[in-house]
Amino acid sequence: MAEKFDLQEREVWDGNYAASQAMRQAKVDVMAAYPITPSTPIVENYGAYVANGYVDGEFVMVESEHAAMSACVGASAAGGRVATATSSQGFALMVEVLYQASGMRLPIVLNVVNRALASPLNVRGDHADMYLGRDSGWIQMDAFNSQEAYDLALCAFKIGENHSVRLPVMVHQDGFITSHTAQNVYPLTDEAAYNFVGEIDPVDDMLDFSRPVTYGAQTEEDWHFEHKAKQHKALMDSVPVIEDVFAEFEKVSGRKYKRVESYMMEDAEVAIVALGTTVETSRVAALRMREQGIKAGVVAPRVFRPFPFDEIRDALENVKSVAVLDRSSPGGAMGAFYNEVSAALYTTENRPLVTNYIYGLGGRDFAVKDAMDIFADQKANADAGHITTDIQQFSGLRGPKLGFFKTKRG
Amino acid sequence: MAITSVKNLKEFSTANDRFEGAHTLCPGCAHSMIVRELMNCTDDNLVVTTNTGCLEVSTAVYPFTSWDTSWMHIGFENAASAAGGAEAMYKARKKKGTLKDNDAPVKFVAFGGDGSTFDIGFQWLSGAFERGHDFTYICLDNENYANTGGQRSSATPIGATTSTAQAGTHSYGKKEKKKDIVAIMAAHGAPYVAQLAPNKWKSMAKGFQKALETEGPCFINTVSPCCTEWRFDPKDTISITDLATDTLMFPIYEIIDGHELNILYRPKNVLPVEEYLAAQGRYKHLFKPENKHVIEEIQKNINEYWEMLQRREEARV
Amino acid sequence: MQDLKLCAQDKRGIHELEAGKDLIGWDEVTQGSVLPSFEGDASNVAHLKQEERCYSDFNSYTATVASWRVKKPVFNIDVCIDCQNCWVWCPDTSIISRDKQMLGIDYDHCKGCEVCVEVCPTNPKSLLMFAEQEDLETALSQWPEKKKKEK
Ligand SMILES: Cc1ncc(C[n+]2csc(CCOP(=O)(O)OP(=O)(O)O)c2C)c(N)n1
Ligand code: SF4
Ligand code: SF4
Ligand code: SF4
Ligand SMILES: [Mg+2]
Repeated sequence: MAEKFDLQEREVWDGNYAASQAMRQAKVDVMAAYPITPSTPIVENYGAYVANGYVDGEFVMVESEHAAMSACVGASAAGGRVATATSSQGFALMVEVLYQASGMRLPIVLNVVNRALASPLNVRGDHADMYLGRDSGWIQMDAFNSQEAYDLALCAFKIGENHSVRLPVMVHQDGFITSHTAQNVYPLTDEAAYNFVGEIDPVDDMLDFSRPVTYGAQTEEDWHFEHKAKQHKALMDSVPVIEDVFAEFEKVSGRKYKRVESYMMEDAEVAIVALGTTVETSRVAALRMREQGIKAGVVAPRVFRPFPFDEIRDALENVKSVAVLDRSSPGGAMGAFYNEVSAALYTTENRPLVTNYIYGLGGRDFAVKDAMDIFADQKANADAGHITTDIQQFSGLRGPKLGFFKTKRG
Repeated sequence: MAITSVKNLKEFSTANDRFEGAHTLCPGCAHSMIVRELMNCTDDNLVVTTNTGCLEVSTAVYPFTSWDTSWMHIGFENAASAAGGAEAMYKARKKKGTLKDNDAPVKFVAFGGDGSTFDIGFQWLSGAFERGHDFTYICLDNENYANTGGQRSSATPIGATTSTAQAGTHSYGKKEKKKDIVAIMAAHGAPYVAQLAPNKWKSMAKGFQKALETEGPCFINTVSPCCTEWRFDPKDTISITDLATDTLMFPIYEIIDGHELNILYRPKNVLPVEEYLAAQGRYKHLFKPENKHVIEEIQKNINEYWEMLQRREEARV
Repeated sequence: MQDLKLCAQDKRGIHELEAGKDLIGWDEVTQGSVLPSFEGDASNVAHLKQEERCYSDFNSYTATVASWRVKKPVFNIDVCIDCQNCWVWCPDTSIISRDKQMLGIDYDHCKGCEVCVEVCPTNPKSLLMFAEQEDLETALSQWPEKKKKEK
């Protein structure tokens, strides 16, 4: 039996520590991991729990992130609770196995501390790794601060392990800004946390020899499509389970989560749509804009996959001008997030104006002032009735102004 | 552990097969002879993981599986990590008492081709051995990437032609020596490492049983003649293996705890390597006069290696 | 052809390999493409003979590769010494041995590689290759006599 870990009602934790405490409280059976900045402390903290008897599970320190996810896949198919953590290059090395984990419907929890992808090498936070995972078939949830990194990690087990879901889940937090910034966190007691998460009830358990199973069969053109469609359907159908788990979590914690978090959107004329810590920055900017008489609001997907197409649309359909912020190098296209939000808004009656801002790459600071400038652009668009700037712009970039494409609506 | 008696073939043949037919390996493929023997030499519960390669693509083709025990394939390189992860989960659940049957012994086995073992999956294999997972890794060494049509691997011997190291007017095939995987795995300090061959069914079955019984990571390289890429008639799979062991191209031996070497088969009559080479299409070009030196080099390498093995066995260090 | 189905409920070779299952839709394929090998409790399979097991329709035991063969091995029980060479080296689990006795060939799974014939030590051999269409009677009637050792 694991030693008792003393917790205060209010702790001061950074995002990494918050995530590792959630792993401990969920009584993970196998944690297979490999260190990389800025998620290393999650693994180290867990190592300290192992060394001091605070966890009963196995801690497998592998030789690479690819092996980490591979061991997680083997462990998860062997019927217990499994989690790991990574960032950036480590995430990139895992990608092959991410697809295999979701294809085999294994409810692994992966804490992703977002960081830029090289080259050039950079250890700071942007969303390049998060975007790299977006077609991998995982549920992706996004924490904007340490408390949320903790809360969502607990929810992740309960969502992924639900028998009508059976999918792996990523919980994202921003590198350094969340992962290394100590904030107030109100943890559940160990009992309350474990009661909430519950015991895992294995499906297709490789260690149940009364029913041997084969994982990872070859499916060619006569079978592959059906399997991928079924998997996609499961991801789409995870929505009610996610909502139920959020509702149950509110009961035990008093903290309420929604698939899309809207801030001052009831009467908003202009909006920023963003992910991660930028959400909180944009909220402060929206307040300031309102002091100037501009009806600004902020919309943020809490659940990035399955993409909340419906709720994004509901939140934004009555707005006049929307800025979608992508914290990842778009690589020859409009930002991926921009494309997804635009597609949702295209199906509304009003079709708000939608512009794209690339920002914050490699941890470049994104200040309240930057968000306010973006709101001001949106206000100008709203007043003009068309997009007055380039459709894709860059915020916080040195050098001559960079932008792409003009509207044909104006 | 519940091992099947391998005292003689009659006894062994009472084992109930747990690797089924109607897989899609080529007729005469040695991979399945080796896998069958592994599955038949124990009646313990098995978790088997397999790297991508002929074995994997032929034994789990949706909607059919040929495996009567729990089996997993993830990718080309990571069967060792998958076995390690499953083994860690077994330990965790046994401790917590959440297994369906907490008393039945479970063994973990990973299979890989030479491509996944010597090349792309080597890091995963080495890592799993360093961590000391309790599992047995079996390499099905057919000295080429057979599943993708016969490209060179670092297990391909000097002089063999493959599609990416071809014999031609300016080439005699592969120029580099085969990687000594057995020595490399023994150097990990593994408790049991061996090179075995399916023609010597008894030493192979005993080696498998020893590996399964031994706690910690065990490695076995098995010679797996591939009629398709080595270019011989499928009926000759066993006679080619006989030539491989009798010319000492594939010496049969084990290394215990990284140092104690035992030779498991000493041919009464060591045959010249030409006999082995001549039986296979992949070495045909070596019999041209300009390539005579390659055969000489192969023979010299064999002699030196055999000498080394004998000395190490004698020295017991 | 000599058929060695060992009991009535034996599901060996009932499916065409290439045809697979009736091609069912996305809503019916197994979750995660996982394939259970048996129906019901299979805890004891290692101690059951194949004909005693409850194979699931996903088990390749229930499939046939008979169409791969151009020639087939024929077994002559009168010459056989039950050495089990053919059993240990058959790559397709197609030698049916029960209680240390070679009974015959599983023609649903045999691919006709001829390995069993090569490794059979008797003189004349107890296994020989014949054309796929040849019936057992005719094959047995053509069995060669004991050969004198050459060389
Ligand atoms: C990451 C990755 N790279 C390449 C391949 C293509 N590939 C599949 S199997 C194979 C060769 C297998 O060779 P080996 O391991 O020797 O097994 P064999 O088929 O010879 O038994 C290759 C190159 C792959 N599946 N995955
Ligand atoms: S190509 Fe070689 S290894 Fe692959 S199935 Fe055929 S004989 Fe076996
Ligand atoms: S011909 Fe090949 S597959 Fe058929 S029984 Fe003989 S060894 Fe087995
Ligand atoms: S190899 Fe020949 S003699 Fe031996 S059991 Fe088979 S058929 Fe009988
Ligand atoms: Mg190979």
